[in-house]
Amino acid sequence: MSNVNCFLRWYLILFLTGLLLASAWVCRAATPGKADAEALLKQSDRFRNGWPSYVVHVKITDFEAGRPDEEHLYEVSQKGTEKTYVEFLSPREKGEHLLMLGDDMWVYLPDTSRPVRITPLERLTGDASNGDVARTNYAADYSPVYLRTEKVGTVECYVLDLTAKRKGATYQRILYWLRAEDTRPVKAEFYLTSGKHIKSATFDEYGLSDGQMVLQRLTLYDEILHNSHSVLEYSGATPRALPDKLFYQGRADRF
Amino acid sequence: MHRRFLIPILLLMASVWAVAQDAAESEEGRFQTRYSVEAIDDATFYGNLSAPLPTVLNQVLLEPAFGVRERNRWNFTSSLIGLTATYSDTSTQLRVRETYGGLSAGDFDFTVGRKMVLWGTGYAFSAAGVLDPPRMPTNPTDRLNVNEGRDMIKADWIHGTQAISAAWSTAALAPAGTSLHDTTAFRYNVLVRGFDTSLIAGHDRGGDSFGGLTFTRVVGQAWEVHGEAVWREQAAVLLGAKYTVSGTTFIGEFYTAPNIPCYRDPGVSATAGRQHYGFFSAGKARLRERAGWKEWGVSGSIVANLDDQSYTGVFDASRWFGNHFSSYVHLEVPRGSTTSEYGSAPYSTATSVGIRFQL
Repeated sequence: MSNVNCFLRWYLILFLTGLLLASAWVCRAATPGKADAEALLKQSDRFRNGWPSYVVHVKITDFEAGRPDEEHLYEVSQKGTEKTYVEFLSPREKGEHLLMLGDDMWVYLPDTSRPVRITPLERLTGDASNGDVARTNYAADYSPVYLRTEKVGTVECYVLDLTAKRKGATYQRILYWLRAEDTRPVKAEFYLTSGKHIKSATFDEYGLSDGQMVLQRLTLYDEILHNSHSVLEYSGATPRALPDKLFYQGRADRF
Repeated sequence: MHRRFLIPILLLMASVWAVAQDAAESEEGRFQTRYSVEAIDDATFYGNLSAPLPTVLNQVLLEPAFGVRERNRWNFTSSLIGLTATYSDTSTQLRVRETYGGLSAGDFDFTVGRKMVLWGTGYAFSAAGVLDPPRMPTNPTDRLNVNEGRDMIKADWIHGTQAISAAWSTAALAPAGTSLHDTTAFRYNVLVRGFDTSLIAGHDRGGDSFGGLTFTRVVGQAWEVHGEAVWREQAAVLLGAKYTVSGTTFIGEFYTAPNIPCYRDPGVSATAGRQHYGFFSAGKARLRERAGWKEWGVSGSIVANLDDQSYTGVFDASRWFGNHFSSYVHLEVPRGSTTSEYGSAPYSTATSVGIRFQL
């Protein structure tokens, strides 16, 4: 009898220990640590950058006091996480283009006498800044920390706190909500070095493009003036082999 | 090998390479085109003219531009200027701003035709921009887009963030009255540790040889610094910086150049010796922070000859109306003694107003 009791006691102890370890493992899986936050961020970047080398058209509509105000058209060519070339296509900006190479950025204006180096602060101009169009690989620019799980409407989301890890990053800090189901971005808050909340974003629409689920509509809200926002519509995203020469900083003639 | 066969053979090899690459590449939008049309009506009113000249200069400019590119191989670009100017009489000109064809093959690019090259890093001045259009410190943005390129054959080897360029430019087709020479120039450009740096060397036929260095670098969050150092008989130096705060951009430059024909401005005497200049500008492209002023842009600048203590103040304001129309005011106020560089202008104010259409 005592043997049976001893067996049951050991069985109970082992069972409870196993249960405890399993619970700990499940909890760990549900609350990502640093490594998991980085993996989540990398996965979420795929919704904005579907291929290692691709071209996408971006239409930005600015709204003032709820009414459409201006439209801007861009063709964005991106190769890896370090090279982005943006051609400005709308009439009032025709002939301008922007180049991002790692931490460095240039704007080529047809009416200036040379390519102009862009300082980090100049990347922030407007509701949709140069950085919002040209720097969309957050895993390359920011260190993420998992904060919590939170519902946005009815959507269960992971909340990541991103801190700039390189000087080329557009913002100092981003609070980033990713849908728990598939890590697609849901919303974001952007902060300056001073801690000022400068913009917010909602990632409104996704769709299939060339077999890849990618972001198709993003809205940026100005948190300083509050009465304006910009809608970024992405279309025609296509993988394309882009020559390295397209991203050479000294090539002022772009067409 | 005889040198005259070298360039045709290089071009032939590049063509064969390009065709071979064409065959291997999948179909994806074979031709890409770009176009733009700009029309400007500009009226300049001169105040207190010291010479018996008309007080109003009216200029109407039509500037079409077109470009076509076949994949990333061949390209052709043309940009023309039709200008009708009414002053003491009316004259009409057709100018070729740029017209060139290009072939891209592997790491090489070849260009033939009239082309704008921008090698200098200065905003208002440049000593190293040996093939660049001339800089006018009172109008560094070439607000009417009337600058023309140089006629040249150019070859570039581009690999990553570095490039070697060789260019030969002829003065045979240059507009009458210009003092251009046939120029052979070489440039090595590299981006290293954030420094966008170039070494430039060359020779003007019937003139002198030159060599120089340029750089630009972003420092911290708000500063950009740039500079040029060139040796051409004597040293010419440019140092400049740009600072951005609250969307406002400040640019300052110091420039000194020997008083030799290639650097001399028309208002400077040949016996005046080395000249020193200062430039400062402040501008905001869009007054976003003020309700109702988002479409406005303003800038002001001052350029001074530090030797004869003359200067010109410049003020610009522009406003957009929708996506195609804009209007502007450009005001120049030269001051200084009548023998000085800027004070010798035959007017006390020049006010330009204009309307611009862009398609």
